[in-house]
Amino acid sequence: MNLFKDIFRIISTSELRNYLFEGFKNTIVIACVAALIGLVIGFIVAMVKIFAIDNPKLKPLAFLCNVYTTVIRGTPIALQLFVMVFAILAIPGFKVTAIILTFGINSGAYVSENIRAGILSVDKGQMEAGRSLGLSRFKTMTKIILPQAVKNVIPAIGNELIALVKETAIVSMVGSTVGTLTFDLNQAASTINKTIANYLAPALLAALLYLAVVYGITLVIKLIERRLRAGDSN
Amino acid sequence: MIAIKNLYKQFGNKEILSGIDLTIEKGEKVVIIGSSGSGKSTLLRCINQLEKPSSGEVWFEGRLLTQADPYLHEELIKVSKTFKKMKAEGGADEELVEEIRKNKMLKPKQEGKEFRKLLRSFTENNRLSIDSARQKIGMCFQHFNLFNNLTVIENLILAPVELKLASKEEALKQAEELLQRIGLYDKKDEYPNRLSGGQKQRIAIIRSLCMNPDVMLFDEPTSALDPEMVGEVLELMKELAAGGMPMVVVTHEMGFAKEIATRVVFMDSGRILEEGTPDAVFNHPENPRTKEFLSKVL
Repeated sequence: MNLFKDIFRIISTSELRNYLFEGFKNTIVIACVAALIGLVIGFIVAMVKIFAIDNPKLKPLAFLCNVYTTVIRGTPIALQLFVMVFAILAIPGFKVTAIILTFGINSGAYVSENIRAGILSVDKGQMEAGRSLGLSRFKTMTKIILPQAVKNVIPAIGNELIALVKETAIVSMVGSTVGTLTFDLNQAASTINKTIANYLAPALLAALLYLAVVYGITLVIKLIERRLRAGDSN
Repeated sequence: MIAIKNLYKQFGNKEILSGIDLTIEKGEKVVIIGSSGSGKSTLLRCINQLEKPSSGEVWFEGRLLTQADPYLHEELIKVSKTFKKMKAEGGADEELVEEIRKNKMLKPKQEGKEFRKLLRSFTENNRLSIDSARQKIGMCFQHFNLFNNLTVIENLILAPVELKLASKEEALKQAEELLQRIGLYDKKDEYPNRLSGGQKQRIAIIRSLCMNPDVMLFDEPTSALDPEMVGEVLELMKELAAGGMPMVVVTHEMGFAKEIATRVVFMDSGRILEEGTPDAVFNHPENPRTKEFLSKVL
């Protein structure tokens, strides 16, 4: 029953316990800021791609967006993290920025495809009806298409948020320091392992905390879905 | 009020419309008939530019909705490099213009500055922005296309209010009057998915009416309806027709066509093969394809 003894020791020792709390907090901060960046990038990229379908002026921009999604979705995130931290933003003091940007940019590529798919899943007739009444493409998009697309997009976005939270566990690959945002939950477990010879105990606690966050996201997404469906049962 | 001139439409290599000429005067009720795939719906959708024609022009109330088509304007052909080159080699103007038209010899990008400038200014001087044209051209679809995220009343007032054609109060008043007229006032706060097909289509029709259009286009408005709901939609359309609303209707309802049409147009494989009064087309068709079609549907 060494495992339970070790778990109890971690919880009751304030130094060890604080490692977990700090890691937990940092993981959430990184994931939240990255998710925000991802949503903004994803929305803009999806819009560019959708409007470029019948607006030739946006074609070059849409091409860049396609390169972006292809490259980001086609390469491992760990590699993207290395490139960002050790090459593109290898400036002292910018490590945290580089890390958060990496996750945000990575998430944006997936979110953009989710949003794009959600918009395309809205019946084409809705846009045609809006346009045939004299509404502009932009007006029809904001008043008719997007409100209907949101419902289709929310589950996929939830998926992406869940994946993002867990992906942040690779932060320690670029080195983490206690007291900075680079010290994430996964690193906390490893750090505790240095005091307690048993790795399973801190790992189990970290896993529980990850699970709690993911479960929380799942609940919130479900709540939003139910709200949206109550609005119009279509 | 609507003039369609030498309209062509291709989807990839497939030609859907092959040179349509059609003029619709104020007060006319034109019914377009023909078998599936004959281009009826595409023609209708070209009128309000939901489909962009490949060539040809569409005019609405004296203004151009498409790009100018150089082949339709002698003065444009005459400033083209192709024409000038041919002229230098000799020949009468009339014949050269005819030859260029027949063989589609213009290459708009290579016809010189003067040609491009005249073409552009011709388009710009006559152009009506497509959004403002659509405000005056009502359109009803086979699948109704009510906005699923809005209630009935919101569907009706969205466009007039957003486009600042009416205040919210005015729009509400008009929408409620129209709902009362078609007996669906009690549905005003329902979402479209709670309505029957016939109710949806009638609301789609009055949604167009809320824009006070000058003409209404109907694209097979009853084809997606259960048989027992066709009547109520046709009834509303007849009412509109009797009220003097000009309309262009694509339909398979021959009885309706006979009753309200001032002109019936028969289309086959992208061409207009026959047009005339309902009596002329239905009772004394001249074209063999028209006869064949009518023998199958009547």
